Amino acid sequence: MAIKEFKLPDVGEGVAEGELVSWAVSVGDAVSEGDIVAEVETDKALVEVPSRYDGKIAELHAEEGEIVPVGSVIISFDVDDGAAGGEDAPTAEADDTVEESADTDSDEAAAASTADGRVFAPPSARKLARELGVEIGAVEGTGPGGRVSDADVRAHADAEETEESGEEAAPDAATTEPVGGTADAETTSTTTAAASGAGADREKTLAVPATRRVAKELDVDIDAVPTEETREGEAFVTEQHVREFAEGGAEAGEPATAAAGSATGDQPREETVPYRGIRRTIGDQMAKSKFTAPHVTHHDTAEIDELVAAREELKATAEEKGSRLTYMAFVLKAVTAALKEYPVLNSELDEEEGVIRLKNYYNIGIAVATDAGLMVPVVKHVDQKGLLQLADEIQELATKARDRSITRTEMQDGTFTITNFGAFGGEYATPIINHPETAIMGLGAIKQRPVVQDGEVEAAHTLPLSLAIDHRVIDGAEAAQFTNAVKSYLAEPTKLLL
Amino acid sequence: MSDTQNLTLVQAVRDGLYTEMQRDESVMALGQDIGKNGGVFRATQGLQAEFGENRVVDTPLAESGIIGSAVGLAIDGMKPVAEIQFSGFIYPGFDQIVSHMARYRTRSRSRFTLPMVLRAPYGGGIRAPEHHSESKEAFYAHEAGLKVVVPSTPYDTKGLLTSAIRDPDPVVFLEPKLIYRAFRGEVPEESYEVPIGEAATRREGEDVSVFTYGAMTRPTLEAAEDLAEEGIDAEIIDLRTVSPLDIDSIIESFEKTGRAVVVNEAPKSGGLAGEITAIIQERALLHQEAPVKRVTGFDVPVPLYAMEDYYLPNAARVADGIRETVEF
Amino acid sequence: MVVGDIATGTEVLVVGAGPGGYVAAIRAAQNGLDTTLVDKEAYGGSCLNHGCIPSKAFISATDVAHDARNAEEMGVHADPVVDVAAMQDWKEGVVNQLTGGVEKLCKANGVNLVQGEATFVDDSSVRIAHGGEGQGSESINFEHAIIATGSRPIQVPGFEFTADPVWSSRDALAIDDAPDSLVVVGAGYIGMELSTVFAKLGVDVTVVEMLDGVLPGYEDDVSRVVKKRAEALGIEFNFGEAASGWEETENGIVVATENEDGEESTYDAEKVLVAVGRQPVSESLDPENAGVELTENGFIETDDQTRTNVENIFAVGDVAGEPMLAHKASKEGIVAAEVIAGEPAALDQQAVPAAVFTDPEIATVGMTEAEAEEAGFEPKVGQFPFRANGRSLTTGESEGFVRIVAEAQAGFILGAQIVGPEASELIAELALAVEMGATLEDVASTIHTHPTLAEAVMEAAENADDQAIHTLNR
Repeated sequence: MAIKEFKLPDVGEGVAEGELVSWAVSVGDAVSEGDIVAEVETDKALVEVPSRYDGKIAELHAEEGEIVPVGSVIISFDVDDGAAGGEDAPTAEADDTVEESADTDSDEAAAASTADGRVFAPPSARKLARELGVEIGAVEGTGPGGRVSDADVRAHADAEETEESGEEAAPDAATTEPVGGTADAETTSTTTAAASGAGADREKTLAVPATRRVAKELDVDIDAVPTEETREGEAFVTEQHVREFAEGGAEAGEPATAAAGSATGDQPREETVPYRGIRRTIGDQMAKSKFTAPHVTHHDTAEIDELVAAREELKATAEEKGSRLTYMAFVLKAVTAALKEYPVLNSELDEEEGVIRLKNYYNIGIAVATDAGLMVPVVKHVDQKGLLQLADEIQELATKARDRSITRTEMQDGTFTITNFGAFGGEYATPIINHPETAIMGLGAIKQRPVVQDGEVEAAHTLPLSLAIDHRVIDGAEAAQFTNAVKSYLAEPTKLLL
Repeated sequence: MSDTQNLTLVQAVRDGLYTEMQRDESVMALGQDIGKNGGVFRATQGLQAEFGENRVVDTPLAESGIIGSAVGLAIDGMKPVAEIQFSGFIYPGFDQIVSHMARYRTRSRSRFTLPMVLRAPYGGGIRAPEHHSESKEAFYAHEAGLKVVVPSTPYDTKGLLTSAIRDPDPVVFLEPKLIYRAFRGEVPEESYEVPIGEAATRREGEDVSVFTYGAMTRPTLEAAEDLAEEGIDAEIIDLRTVSPLDIDSIIESFEKTGRAVVVNEAPKSGGLAGEITAIIQERALLHQEAPVKRVTGFDVPVPLYAMEDYYLPNAARVADGIRETVEF
Repeated sequence: MVVGDIATGTEVLVVGAGPGGYVAAIRAAQNGLDTTLVDKEAYGGSCLNHGCIPSKAFISATDVAHDARNAEEMGVHADPVVDVAAMQDWKEGVVNQLTGGVEKLCKANGVNLVQGEATFVDDSSVRIAHGGEGQGSESINFEHAIIATGSRPIQVPGFEFTADPVWSSRDALAIDDAPDSLVVVGAGYIGMELSTVFAKLGVDVTVVEMLDGVLPGYEDDVSRVVKKRAEALGIEFNFGEAASGWEETENGIVVATENEDGEESTYDAEKVLVAVGRQPVSESLDPENAGVELTENGFIETDDQTRTNVENIFAVGDVAGEPMLAHKASKEGIVAAEVIAGEPAALDQQAVPAAVFTDPEIATVGMTEAEAEEAGFEPKVGQFPFRANGRSLTTGESEGFVRIVAEAQAGFILGAQIVGPEASELIAELALAVEMGATLEDVASTIHTHPTLAEAVMEAAENADDQAIHTLNR
């Protein structure tokens, strides 16, 4: 019986490592080629790993939850001789070289480090080994009889280093660049907080000790209490501020910001959460987008009484057909129609080639909040799909994103993104463009607000719009014009029939 | 470029005296055993041989005489540096200090000032009998007209002593004898001043301001390093002068952190720790996030021998005090 | 002093200023550490003051006299008169020059020197007693300590060194004139070196030794050469006898010995020199106060970084165990200082060379043939007699040989034994070979100057491959 080492295969697109989420097999199990042996999460998606061998599991080399570099051995299989491993057979043998300390195998080195572990190496080489943290007995000597020289020690140290560092793959561009809220107002999962106006976030607050006592009693973080007062140039909070803030938080049903503030009694001062995987990818992409494209945001409000009515009318029909008709479907249509008129907002800037690519297809990404972070599934070819089809697709993609079954393709190839933070509340925001697109539209909360019609103030349904553009490609005028077009389609949805 | 020497604190006292006496003929030293014997701690070793019996004077055993003579010499144009062998022995001369040494400027409406220094080894931890471990700087801080200086490093010792000698007003210069020889530091050979009334930040931090001086600086720094591992970032301010206090530095630090601990070995009640606490709440109440913690000696005479270790603040007690403040 | 105890603080406290201690102190100071060196006697320790240096000085002086007296063959006729008191003065001068040098070096490097006897109070402070200065004692607080207190001659029960006729090696080297006769108890290297010195001074020397040969620990064919010459010098050997007691007589003393059958023998002499070995100076330090553990024999166990069982306390030199050699102490001292300074230093030497300054000299490094075999190597040995070496013949000293032990596979040199003229100097080349992992070929193919004794080393290496030119390869 032979032992075959199974290495974590490349899961595609240059991903360097993955988290071994769960094993599907245990030691001793009989496994056939193609059986799923593990689930691995990369910074893109959750992937099932199939076995490459027929055989018995001899040893599992990683723990659930462990980060495993691509190419490292994760399973040892007991196989019968002749059990082919597919295209990886030759590399399986080469496994030995990947393992550490090659020297223990070679016989020539036996003369160099034999009888009572004696190593033949000059004092300078021994000192160098100590300095580099190398075990001199493990170094393969290339001198006569296996004598170890300085160079040998250095070579050994270098070899050890490159094994330990996994390959560094450049984080991919393409998808997963979310910003805003969910596709639907009814969703429950929330991760991003900080809708404007929820609380302050200061580093320093002045207050009399009595006020601090009250804050502590009410379990309020004094740095989060909003206040307009200042003393000595710093924000100053009174007991009243604290109490008001505490009550306000209770009404909304949300605790004031998450931070624990100063620890009391047994509570730890802070909790550390690993910054990796999808979260980290989001972080990296956010930074990249914001720090390369000069963002300008254009705010406006669409009056949508007619749209509300239209949706009301169509809702029943939609339900008969098994669809849930949301506003988002209408918005997709309106945005696409506007993009056709202003193609420069449906583009990509290729600085290297020195061109702006104007896309003739309309793949709109919709930001979805999930437990692992924000994801952006893409609805493809919006212009070619009907309202109900869009509504269904939106629903489907959002669900898949949330239960992590969404595929990479379903998150790729967007040309424009919509983020609906209004699902949480709020009017305007300054969204971050989903690189490499050049514009993103944020939707505020749809509600009745005062508008002026015929010189009178009336209550009407309004939808605040926040359009962020990459000013290298798009100018303010175009942004305004585009937004006006979207507004006009939303205000008079029948125009979409044209 | 001048040279530096690696000196202990008591060697720096000597070097300070030597350097200044070379520079200025009106500087002289007087005290018990300081001349022929070079001082019981060797603080004046070799000075009499160098500068003569008229400038390095062995006095009788009479503290009031030593201090009183210094007052007289200072009025008449000398810059005397009087040594009292242990700060606990000052009391027979206390009247000279508070009734006269502190008052000449006021009494003469600034016509006379007393450019004199009263030096004494102070503080506990050396397993000595009664009277040899006093830390009563508060007595002198409470008397207007006196400056009270307490160095903690060899470099500061020479610099502050130089400033004290040059100061037109009287300075009480208390030398923490526990650390007289505990470590060495670089001290320039040349003459230099460290300003009186200026504190020094020994460690920068964000979470809590710890004010200390003298021999307590070292265990405080030790506590800070231990706490850094727990995630508590302490700012350590070595006051160096306890009267006048560097109020600006104290407040600046406190406004940054909002929490304070004062560490000194003096008895708790009526001590400088209380004074600092009062100043803080007077000027920076709105920044205060916890009560000011005082880590001090106790309201008892300094105990003898091994019991001393329970009396003096050590790194563990300081760390506990800091933790208490941070966790309030 | 005055009331109270103001402790002095230091980063590295070295107790003992012998070749282990002063070297450690200087290296520590070179690395920027605040260092204090304490010794209760003169700087330089036993080595400089009572051991290595004085004995080699006497050996050189007596050799000059002896060689001059025996150079008739060369056409030199002489009968030198030896003024032992002058020899003593000269030797003291040399010792003072060296100890003065040590003091200067220490001061120049910024090491604080303290005279006194140190005892541990706990693992971070010692008490130093200043004997007789009227200063009483002082405390020193340290962050790290290096114990380098060395060793002292073993005292045999019944032969207390305090008695005037009973000598330790130290007493033997402090003489102003030579006794007429001397019994030497112990035929180890100290006994043999001093026996040779006294024999050359014309003293009637009788050696009694418990084991059945001289210089145990050296191979028979090596020690045999020395024994033969010693006998030719007039030294009488009595093996298998243990010294049991002594008594004063009219003209001196009589020393009694017992063999394993209980039979007694007696020897008359003026003095008796007891040189049965040395034991570590450790208990008087109160090491238990610091938590430092001693072995049964009083040695301090250390790891390859010279650390004791207490993390901040190190031990180097004789007190840390065999071999009790000054150069091993110095090496350990350097390692201790470097480890304290945070460098990745360790004792990783392959071998420690040793030399016996008898006539002829013996020097060895590394493994003997038997040791090599036991270690699992296939030994390959080469040997070359001085008799076949040109330079050797021109000096008139041609007894002895160079033997090199290597391993057969690659020819790595594992050890060497030399008995003969300048053995103590010649061994250095082979010590380097062992450390470097040099092969027989490396030594054999290096050109050695002619005419020198060192050629014997080269030819011994050649001989291992049956390639020696100036001797028949076996």
